[in-house]
Amino acid sequence: MDRMTALFVGIAMGALIQRVQASNPGMIARNLRLENLSVIKFMATTIAVGAMLVYVMSLVMPMNFDVKPTYVVGVLVGGLVFGVGFALSGYCPGTCVVGAGEGRRDAVFAFLGGVVGALAFTLAFTTVIAPLNALADYGKITLADVLGLPAVAVALALGVVFLAVVKWLPTNPGRPALGEES
Amino acid sequence: MAHPAAHSPTMTAAPSAGLPPWARYGIIFGFVSAASIALWAPIGVSGTYPRMIGAILGELTPEYAAANPYLVRMGSVLKPETFLLIGLLIGGFISSRFGRARLAARRVEMVHAGEKTDFARYRDAFLGGFLIIVGARIAGGCTSGHIISGMTQLSVSAFIFAAGVFGSGIATAKLLQKGGK
Repeated sequence: MDRMTALFVGIAMGALIQRVQASNPGMIARNLRLENLSVIKFMATTIAVGAMLVYVMSLVMPMNFDVKPTYVVGVLVGGLVFGVGFALSGYCPGTCVVGAGEGRRDAVFAFLGGVVGALAFTLAFTTVIAPLNALADYGKITLADVLGLPAVAVALALGVVFLAVVKWLPTNPGRPALGEES
Repeated sequence: MAHPAAHSPTMTAAPSAGLPPWARYGIIFGFVSAASIALWAPIGVSGTYPRMIGAILGELTPEYAAANPYLVRMGSVLKPETFLLIGLLIGGFISSRFGRARLAARRVEMVHAGEKTDFARYRDAFLGGFLIIVGARIAGGCTSGHIISGMTQLSVSAFIFAAGVFGSGIATAKLLQKGGK
Protein backbone atom coordinates (compact mmCIF):
# COMPACT_ATOMS: atom_id res chain seq x y z
CA MET A 1 0.00 0.00 0.00
CA ASP A 2 2.77 2.42 0.93
CA ARG A 3 4.50 1.52 -2.30
CA MET A 4 1.47 2.51 -4.35
CA THR A 5 1.11 5.76 -2.38
CA ALA A 6 4.79 6.54 -2.95
CA LEU A 7 4.46 5.74 -6.66
CA PHE A 8 1.50 8.10 -7.13
CA VAL A 9 3.11 10.83 -5.01
CA GLY A 10 6.19 10.44 -7.23
CA ILE A 11 4.18 10.71 -10.44
CA ALA A 12 2.45 13.88 -9.22
CA MET A 13 5.71 15.34 -7.93
CA GLY A 14 7.52 14.51 -11.17
CA ALA A 15 4.82 16.15 -13.28
CA LEU A 16 4.82 19.29 -11.11
CA ILE A 17 8.62 19.53 -11.17
CA GLN A 18 8.58 19.18 -14.95
CA ARG A 19 5.85 21.80 -15.42
CA VAL A 20 7.60 24.36 -13.24
CA GLN A 21 10.87 23.60 -15.12
CA ALA A 22 12.73 22.61 -11.97
CA SER A 23 14.07 19.64 -13.97
CA ASN A 24 15.61 22.07 -16.47
CA PRO A 25 19.24 22.58 -15.34
CA GLY A 26 19.39 25.95 -17.12
CA MET A 27 16.41 27.12 -15.07
CA ILE A 28 18.11 25.95 -11.84
CA ALA A 29 21.26 27.89 -12.82
CA ARG A 30 19.16 31.02 -13.50
CA ASN A 31 17.55 30.64 -10.08
CA LEU A 32 20.91 30.24 -8.35
CA ARG A 33 22.26 33.29 -10.22
CA LEU A 34 19.14 35.08 -8.89
CA GLU A 35 18.04 36.06 -12.41
CA ASN A 36 14.79 34.11 -12.21
CA LEU A 37 13.27 33.10 -8.87
CA SER A 38 10.36 30.96 -10.09
CA VAL A 39 11.66 27.62 -8.76
CA ILE A 40 12.59 29.13 -5.40
CA LYS A 41 9.12 30.70 -5.17
CA PHE A 42 7.54 27.38 -6.16
CA MET A 43 9.41 25.63 -3.33
CA ALA A 44 8.49 28.29 -0.78
CA THR A 45 4.81 28.12 -1.81
CA THR A 46 4.86 24.33 -1.47
CA ILE A 47 6.38 24.58 2.00
CA ALA A 48 3.92 27.28 3.14
CA VAL A 49 0.85 25.35 1.99
CA GLY A 50 2.21 22.00 3.20
CA ALA A 51 3.21 23.27 6.66
CA MET A 52 -0.15 24.90 7.31
CA LEU A 53 -2.00 21.81 6.08
CA VAL A 54 -0.05 19.16 7.97
CA TYR A 55 -0.12 20.91 11.33
CA VAL A 56 -3.83 21.82 11.06
CA MET A 57 -4.54 18.21 10.01
CA SER A 58 -2.43 16.97 12.94
CA LEU A 59 -5.03 18.45 15.30
CA VAL A 60 -7.69 16.03 14.07
CA MET A 61 -5.80 13.00 12.75
CA PRO A 62 -2.50 11.15 13.23
CA MET A 63 0.24 12.26 10.82
CA ASN A 64 3.36 10.34 9.81
CA PHE A 65 5.85 13.03 10.74
CA ASP A 66 9.52 12.14 10.41
CA VAL A 67 11.74 15.03 11.50
CA LYS A 68 15.40 14.70 10.54
CA PRO A 69 17.99 15.13 13.31
CA THR A 70 19.82 18.44 13.57
CA TYR A 71 23.51 17.48 13.71
CA VAL A 72 24.69 21.00 12.97
CA VAL A 73 28.15 20.34 11.49
CA GLY A 74 27.16 17.48 9.19
CA VAL A 75 23.96 19.16 8.01
CA LEU A 76 25.79 22.39 7.20
CA VAL A 77 28.79 20.71 5.54
CA GLY A 78 26.43 18.47 3.58
CA GLY A 79 24.42 21.50 2.48
CA LEU A 80 27.56 23.32 1.32
CA VAL A 81 28.75 20.31 -0.70
CA PHE A 82 25.24 19.83 -2.10
CA GLY A 83 25.05 23.48 -3.19
CA VAL A 84 28.23 23.23 -5.26
CA GLY A 85 26.94 20.10 -7.00
CA PHE A 86 23.48 21.64 -7.44
CA ALA A 87 24.95 24.67 -9.24
CA LEU A 88 27.42 22.61 -11.29
CA SER A 89 24.94 20.00 -12.51
CA GLY A 90 21.72 22.01 -12.38
CA TYR A 91 20.05 18.99 -10.86
CA CYS A 92 19.13 17.61 -7.46
CA PRO A 93 18.65 13.90 -6.67
CA GLY A 94 14.95 13.99 -7.67
CA THR A 95 15.01 16.41 -10.58
CA CYS A 96 17.63 14.40 -12.48
CA VAL A 97 15.21 11.46 -12.44
CA VAL A 98 12.42 13.72 -13.71
CA GLY A 99 14.81 15.12 -16.33
CA ALA A 100 15.70 11.60 -17.45
CA GLY A 101 11.96 10.93 -17.86
CA GLU A 102 11.72 14.05 -20.00
CA GLY A 103 14.52 12.76 -22.22
CA ARG A 104 17.39 14.95 -21.03
CA ARG A 105 20.67 13.14 -21.63
CA ASP A 106 22.69 15.16 -19.10
CA ALA A 107 20.14 14.16 -16.44
CA VAL A 108 21.20 10.54 -16.89
CA PHE A 109 24.82 11.57 -16.27
CA ALA A 110 23.78 13.44 -13.13
CA PHE A 111 21.94 10.33 -11.93
CA LEU A 112 24.97 8.12 -12.61
CA GLY A 113 27.19 10.62 -10.79
CA GLY A 114 24.81 10.30 -7.87
CA VAL A 115 25.07 6.51 -7.88
CA VAL A 116 28.88 6.74 -7.80
CA GLY A 117 28.58 9.39 -5.07
CA ALA A 118 26.42 7.02 -3.03
CA LEU A 119 29.09 4.32 -3.39
CA ALA A 120 31.85 6.73 -2.29
CA PHE A 121 29.74 7.85 0.66
CA THR A 122 28.96 4.29 1.71
CA LEU A 123 32.66 3.34 1.64
CA ALA A 124 33.65 6.44 3.66
CA PHE A 125 30.78 6.29 6.14
CA THR A 126 32.27 4.55 9.15
CA THR A 127 35.65 6.28 9.00
CA VAL A 128 34.76 9.84 8.03
CA ILE A 129 31.06 10.60 8.07
CA ALA A 130 29.82 8.94 11.25
CA PRO A 131 32.28 10.87 13.51
CA LEU A 132 31.45 14.12 11.69
CA ASN A 133 27.75 13.63 12.23
CA ALA A 134 28.20 12.99 15.94
CA LEU A 135 29.27 16.63 16.38
CA ALA A 136 26.73 19.11 17.78
CA ASP A 137 23.81 16.70 17.42
CA TYR A 138 20.65 18.25 18.85
CA GLY A 139 18.39 15.40 17.74
CA LYS A 140 15.01 15.71 16.05
CA ILE A 141 14.12 19.29 16.96
CA THR A 142 11.62 21.63 15.31
CA LEU A 143 11.21 25.41 15.35
CA ALA A 144 8.23 24.89 17.66
CA ASP A 145 10.49 23.11 20.18
CA VAL A 146 13.05 25.90 20.01
CA LEU A 147 10.48 28.68 20.37
CA GLY A 148 8.39 26.82 22.95
CA LEU A 149 5.20 27.53 20.99
CA PRO A 150 2.44 25.25 19.66
CA ALA A 151 3.53 23.73 16.33
CA VAL A 152 0.30 24.72 14.56
CA ALA A 153 0.86 28.38 15.46
CA VAL A 154 4.45 28.29 14.19
CA ALA A 155 3.35 26.53 11.00
CA LEU A 156 0.63 29.10 10.28
CA ALA A 157 3.07 31.96 10.95
CA LEU A 158 5.73 30.40 8.73
CA GLY A 159 3.15 29.85 5.98
CA VAL A 160 1.98 33.46 6.10
CA VAL A 161 5.55 34.80 6.08
CA PHE A 162 6.62 32.56 3.17
CA LEU A 163 3.53 33.48 1.11
CA ALA A 164 4.06 37.19 1.81
CA VAL A 165 7.71 36.95 0.76
CA VAL A 166 6.98 35.09 -2.50
CA LYS A 167 4.21 37.56 -3.34
CA TRP A 168 6.58 40.46 -2.72
CA LEU A 169 9.65 39.02 -4.52
CA PRO A 170 9.88 39.63 -8.27
CA THR A 171 9.94 36.44 -10.37
CA ASN A 172 12.38 37.81 -12.94
CA PRO A 173 14.77 40.21 -11.18
CA GLY A 174 17.20 39.81 -14.08
CA ARG A 175 14.55 40.74 -16.66
CA PRO A 176 12.27 43.36 -15.12
CA ALA A 177 8.81 44.60 -16.06
CA LEU A 178 7.63 42.96 -19.23
CA GLY A 179 4.04 43.18 -18.03
CA GLU A 180 3.52 39.51 -17.21
CA GLU A 181 5.62 38.22 -14.37
CA SER A 182 5.83 34.47 -14.15
CA MET B 1 -7.04 21.89 -9.26
CA ALA B 2 -6.26 25.61 -9.63
CA HIS B 3 -7.13 27.75 -6.65
CA PRO B 4 -7.78 31.09 -8.27
CA ALA B 5 -7.92 34.61 -6.98
CA ALA B 6 -7.75 34.03 -3.20
CA HIS B 7 -4.28 35.50 -2.87
CA SER B 8 -3.09 36.10 -6.40
CA PRO B 9 0.50 37.34 -6.33
CA THR B 10 0.18 39.08 -9.69
CA MET B 11 -2.41 41.78 -9.48
CA THR B 12 -1.00 43.45 -12.57
CA ALA B 13 -0.85 40.34 -14.74
CA ALA B 14 -2.89 39.84 -17.87
CA PRO B 15 -6.64 39.74 -17.15
CA SER B 16 -7.14 36.01 -17.70
CA ALA B 17 -3.84 34.94 -16.14
CA GLY B 18 -4.94 33.95 -12.61
CA LEU B 19 -2.08 32.58 -10.53
CA PRO B 20 1.35 32.34 -12.15
CA PRO B 21 2.57 28.75 -12.74
CA TRP B 22 4.98 28.67 -9.78
CA ALA B 23 2.14 29.60 -7.40
CA ARG B 24 -0.42 27.26 -8.96
CA TYR B 25 1.94 24.29 -9.04
CA GLY B 26 3.37 25.18 -5.62
CA ILE B 27 -0.09 25.07 -4.04
CA ILE B 28 -0.81 21.70 -5.66
CA PHE B 29 2.59 20.36 -4.53
CA GLY B 30 1.80 21.57 -0.99
CA PHE B 31 -1.34 19.42 -1.03
CA VAL B 32 0.61 16.45 -2.45
CA SER B 33 3.33 16.77 0.19
CA ALA B 34 0.73 17.02 2.99
CA ALA B 35 -1.16 14.03 1.59
CA SER B 36 2.09 12.07 1.54
CA ILE B 37 2.68 12.81 5.25
CA ALA B 38 -0.93 11.93 6.08
CA LEU B 39 -1.01 8.66 4.13
CA TRP B 40 2.57 7.39 4.17
CA ALA B 41 5.63 9.49 5.08
CA PRO B 42 7.30 12.76 4.13
CA ILE B 43 8.68 12.76 0.59
CA GLY B 44 12.41 12.13 0.23
CA VAL B 45 14.62 11.02 -2.61
CA SER B 46 18.33 10.84 -1.87
CA GLY B 47 18.26 7.83 0.50
CA THR B 48 17.27 5.64 -2.43
CA TYR B 49 20.73 6.06 -4.00
CA PRO B 50 22.64 4.23 -1.24
CA ARG B 51 19.84 1.63 -1.15
CA MET B 52 20.57 0.94 -4.81
CA ILE B 53 24.26 0.62 -3.90
CA GLY B 54 23.25 -1.75 -1.12
CA ALA B 55 21.34 -3.91 -3.57
CA ILE B 56 24.29 -4.02 -5.98
CA LEU B 57 26.89 -4.76 -3.28
CA GLY B 58 24.51 -7.30 -1.78
CA GLU B 59 24.83 -9.24 -5.04
CA LEU B 60 28.58 -8.72 -5.55
CA THR B 61 29.95 -8.95 -2.00
CA PRO B 62 27.17 -10.05 0.34
CA GLU B 63 29.51 -10.21 3.38
CA TYR B 64 30.63 -6.60 2.97
CA ALA B 65 27.07 -5.34 2.39
CA ALA B 66 25.82 -7.14 5.50
CA ALA B 67 28.66 -5.69 7.59
CA ASN B 68 28.46 -2.06 6.40
CA PRO B 69 26.55 -0.19 9.13
CA TYR B 70 25.26 2.47 6.74
CA LEU B 71 23.80 -0.01 4.26
CA VAL B 72 22.23 -1.95 7.11
CA ARG B 73 20.68 1.23 8.49
CA MET B 74 19.30 2.37 5.12
CA GLY B 75 17.60 -0.95 4.48
CA SER B 76 16.20 -2.62 1.39
CA VAL B 77 15.85 -1.08 -2.05
CA LEU B 78 12.29 -2.43 -2.03
CA LYS B 79 11.27 0.29 0.43
CA PRO B 80 8.46 2.60 -0.81
CA GLU B 81 10.95 5.45 -1.45
CA THR B 82 12.27 3.58 -4.49
CA PHE B 83 8.76 3.58 -5.94
CA LEU B 84 8.68 7.35 -5.45
CA LEU B 85 11.73 7.56 -7.73
CA ILE B 86 10.03 5.40 -10.34
CA GLY B 87 7.06 7.75 -10.08
CA LEU B 88 9.32 10.76 -10.73
CA LEU B 89 10.55 9.13 -13.92
CA ILE B 90 6.98 8.41 -15.08
CA GLY B 91 5.73 11.86 -14.03
CA GLY B 92 8.50 13.62 -15.94
CA PHE B 93 7.80 11.52 -19.01
CA ILE B 94 4.03 12.05 -18.98
CA SER B 95 4.18 15.74 -18.16
CA SER B 96 6.67 16.52 -20.92
CA ARG B 97 4.58 14.79 -23.58
CA PHE B 98 0.92 15.28 -22.68
CA GLY B 99 -1.40 18.09 -21.69
CA ARG B 100 -2.09 21.64 -22.70
CA ALA B 101 0.87 23.22 -20.86
CA ARG B 102 3.43 20.60 -21.89
CA LEU B 103 6.92 21.76 -22.68
CA ALA B 104 9.17 19.21 -24.35
CA ALA B 105 12.74 19.19 -23.10
CA ARG B 106 15.77 19.54 -25.32
CA ARG B 107 18.13 16.59 -25.09
CA VAL B 108 21.09 18.70 -24.07
CA GLU B 109 21.05 22.30 -23.01
CA MET B 110 24.18 24.17 -21.97
CA VAL B 111 23.94 25.53 -18.45
CA HIS B 112 27.16 27.43 -17.76
CA ALA B 113 29.29 29.82 -19.77
CA GLY B 114 32.17 27.32 -19.87
CA GLU B 115 30.18 24.48 -21.39
CA LYS B 116 31.05 24.58 -25.09
CA THR B 117 30.43 20.93 -25.93
CA ASP B 118 27.96 18.21 -25.03
CA PHE B 119 30.84 16.44 -23.30
CA ALA B 120 31.38 19.44 -20.97
CA ARG B 121 27.69 19.38 -20.03
CA TYR B 122 27.77 15.63 -19.32
CA ARG B 123 30.95 16.07 -17.27
CA ASP B 124 29.45 18.88 -15.17
CA ALA B 125 26.21 16.92 -14.73
CA PHE B 126 28.14 13.83 -13.58
CA LEU B 127 30.46 15.69 -11.18
CA GLY B 128 27.57 17.73 -9.82
CA GLY B 129 25.49 14.58 -9.46
CA PHE B 130 28.30 13.01 -7.46
CA LEU B 131 28.48 16.02 -5.13
CA ILE B 132 24.72 16.34 -4.54
CA ILE B 133 24.45 12.76 -3.35
CA VAL B 134 27.58 12.94 -1.19
CA GLY B 135 26.31 16.23 0.31
CA ALA B 136 22.77 14.97 0.74
CA ARG B 137 23.88 11.77 2.47
CA ILE B 138 26.21 13.67 4.83
CA ALA B 139 23.31 15.94 5.75
CA GLY B 140 20.74 13.14 5.81
CA GLY B 141 18.49 14.45 3.04
CA CYS B 142 18.23 16.50 -0.15
CA THR B 143 15.99 19.18 -1.61
CA SER B 144 12.88 17.08 -1.13
CA GLY B 145 13.61 15.37 2.17
CA HIS B 146 15.47 18.17 3.93
CA ILE B 147 14.15 21.38 2.39
CA ILE B 148 10.56 20.63 1.24
CA SER B 149 9.58 17.99 3.81
CA GLY B 150 11.90 19.38 6.49
CA MET B 151 10.63 22.95 6.42
CA THR B 152 7.06 21.67 6.05
CA GLN B 153 7.57 19.85 9.38
CA LEU B 154 9.38 22.93 10.84
CA SER B 155 12.57 20.92 11.31
CA VAL B 156 15.53 23.05 12.44
CA SER B 157 17.89 20.96 10.29
CA ALA B 158 16.00 22.05 7.16
CA PHE B 159 16.89 25.69 7.68
CA ILE B 160 20.57 24.90 8.31
CA PHE B 161 20.73 22.67 5.22
CA ALA B 162 18.98 25.27 3.04
CA ALA B 163 21.37 27.98 4.22
CA GLY B 164 24.31 25.80 3.17
CA VAL B 165 22.77 24.84 -0.19
CA PHE B 166 21.80 28.33 -1.26
CA GLY B 167 24.98 29.88 0.18
CA SER B 168 27.37 27.69 -1.80
CA GLY B 169 24.94 27.19 -4.70
CA ILE B 170 24.53 30.90 -5.41
CA ALA B 171 28.27 31.51 -5.03
CA THR B 172 29.14 28.61 -7.36
CA ALA B 173 26.57 29.60 -10.00
CA LYS B 174 27.85 33.19 -10.04
CA LEU B 175 31.49 32.04 -10.23
CA LEU B 176 30.75 29.64 -13.11
CA GLN B 177 29.05 32.44 -15.01
CA LYS B 178 31.89 34.89 -14.41
CA GLY B 179 34.85 32.63 -14.96
CA GLY B 180 33.46 30.31 -17.61
CA LYS B 181 35.69 28.16 -15.35
